[in-house]
Amino acid sequence: MKERLSKFNTGLLADRKITQLMAITALTFGYFSIVSKDIFFTSANFTSMSYQIPEIAILSIAVMLSMLTGGIDLSIVSISNAAALVAAWIMTGHISKSGYESNLWIVIACIAGIMVGLLAGAVNSLLVAKLNVTPILATLATMTLFNGIAIGMTDGVSVSGLPDQFMRVGNGTFFGIPTPFVLMVVIAFAIGVLINRTTLGLKVFLVGTNRKAAQYSVMGDRKVIAWVYLVSGFLSSLAGLIIASRTSAASPDFGSSYILLAIVVVVLGGINPNGGFGTVTGVILATAVLQMVSSGFNALRFSQFFYLVSQGGVLIFVMILNVVLERRRTSRSISKSLRS
Amino acid sequence: MDFMKLLRRNETALIIAIILLSIVIGLKSPEFFTLANLFDIFRSSFVQLLFALGVLIVIISGGIDVSFPAVGIFSGYTAVVLMRQFHWNPNNLMLPIALAIVIGIALGAVNAVAIASFGIPTLIATLGTSGIFRGLMLTFIGSSFISDIPVALDKFATADLLKIQPAHGTLARLHVLIIPIVIITVLVSLLLSRTMFGRSVYALGGGIEATRRLGISIKRTQAKIYMLVGGLSGLAGILYVSLQRKANPYDLTGSELDIIAAVVLGGASIMGGNGTVFGTVLGVLLISLIKGNLILLGVSGSWQRAAVGALLLIGITVQALNESKKAKNRRVATNDEAGE
Repeated sequence: MKERLSKFNTGLLADRKITQLMAITALTFGYFSIVSKDIFFTSANFTSMSYQIPEIAILSIAVMLSMLTGGIDLSIVSISNAAALVAAWIMTGHISKSGYESNLWIVIACIAGIMVGLLAGAVNSLLVAKLNVTPILATLATMTLFNGIAIGMTDGVSVSGLPDQFMRVGNGTFFGIPTPFVLMVVIAFAIGVLINRTTLGLKVFLVGTNRKAAQYSVMGDRKVIAWVYLVSGFLSSLAGLIIASRTSAASPDFGSSYILLAIVVVVLGGINPNGGFGTVTGVILATAVLQMVSSGFNALRFSQFFYLVSQGGVLIFVMILNVVLERRRTSRSISKSLRS
Repeated sequence: MDFMKLLRRNETALIIAIILLSIVIGLKSPEFFTLANLFDIFRSSFVQLLFALGVLIVIISGGIDVSFPAVGIFSGYTAVVLMRQFHWNPNNLMLPIALAIVIGIALGAVNAVAIASFGIPTLIATLGTSGIFRGLMLTFIGSSFISDIPVALDKFATADLLKIQPAHGTLARLHVLIIPIVIITVLVSLLLSRTMFGRSVYALGGGIEATRRLGISIKRTQAKIYMLVGGLSGLAGILYVSLQRKANPYDLTGSELDIIAAVVLGGASIMGGNGTVFGTVLGVLLISLIKGNLILLGVSGSWQRAAVGALLLIGITVQALNESKKAKNRRVATNDEAGE
């Protein structure tokens, strides 16, 4: 019996946290489907959820990467807004051009947005990896700085009226599946490969588990951390472009609550805030859970602010649960070793 | 004291920065050097300073608190709502202040439970509780703007200690709050430097394990810290409401950065174990000076946030460079010892 169980436990179910999350996802889904059958359990709701999940998921993956190394990137939302603003600014400046030329400018604008993300990521890398600033502080400062530059450049006004071709990316479908969702799956897969199948990914986990040991094994821990913040900036700019193309606008203070949400997602997804452990699957599942809670609350006509409470509540609850379970596991293993 | 050592101190650098900035602004616009402007800077610093003292204590202990604006506005707003709900004597000034402090301590206790009892990383815990506090206030206590706050609080906004009317120019008014604020600042300074509790806060920031071996209770110290910070934030919140002469539950959001920036610029090390009240006072003054007088320099108001971000970035970079230089010196010193 035990042998068969252990065989069953390989594969996806091997990870206890993922199993827990799958159960939570199924429970949340079941609960809201029963409670609000006519609003939540409709294809319209599922479609709207699949348009909203990708941006949070991508931002959360960015936070996950920095958290895997034991740091944190608080500047993601500022970076994504700055990238979206630069792209939107270029696009609206060339909107009157003919079809082909305007398409070209859209591509240029997207590239410019991604460059902004990479540049911002490079600033974070420089601060955290080269100058040894604590990640919380470094990204807190760059968050203020990037956000401040975005406000200063636009005087705090949002840029709207983006070209239709660009909006088709965020609102269209790809073989029947919403395009942002497809993009998210591609990005999640790529990051999954990056952290599980490459040497850089392995090093990310090693640095997160024990920075000192990584230092002594001369694997270039600073370079690993620098890469992480660069990729995080890149992902944030992609999220910013997707948000801009979905909402047809870019503003310096869009989604200021996303940073709390992204951290809630990452912690719920089973990533250890001290680094060294986490999976992309967990992040995606956690995003789905939170989006279902948000849509479910909407369907049940709960106040918007109550969702804020539940975000905070989920964060604290999951952290407490992790601590309690960990303590129990340690005491059990100690008593087991004492008995034998 | 060694002159070079004095020069290298953080406080000295801050004083020089403040003087230089004052001279530059003063040259550009002569109205800067008036008593009225000086008193205005003081007035806008009162609330900031109270918050900053709380943040300073947390940062010295090696943590970080981002929930204090939520605690502050929760306490201030709830105190006003309670006063109006139960028709308590609106001429009583001390009652709402006491209420706000008590509410603040209670909310601080929630943080204390999450951090001290369960050992959740301070940033994540306070991020979660700040969502909970803000959401609870907006859902259950009220989400509307209150403009007729109790009479005593309203009158207090214009309670001036002294009024000086210069021969020409605007009337300079020094608010009576300067006295309690100075007293509180001195008390916090004495608390940190002269009491057992204060020394344990520094010890905690220096190293948790070492503190434990000294026989100091980590949990009790942390619980005291977060409750004290809650109380200070509650006081700051009600004073903010009073000085603004209105209770707006959406206020203070995002102000955490300015205050953390002020404390860090004041020389408190985010790694813990370092920081002085005097430095924090100077940091708060510098930030107020920049936020209030950037316009006099001809810089548009929308660049304020970028300026704070850049300043914070400079501050932490200098700190990090000093830190790594110190670490290098230490390494050289131990190598020399080993070589002999």
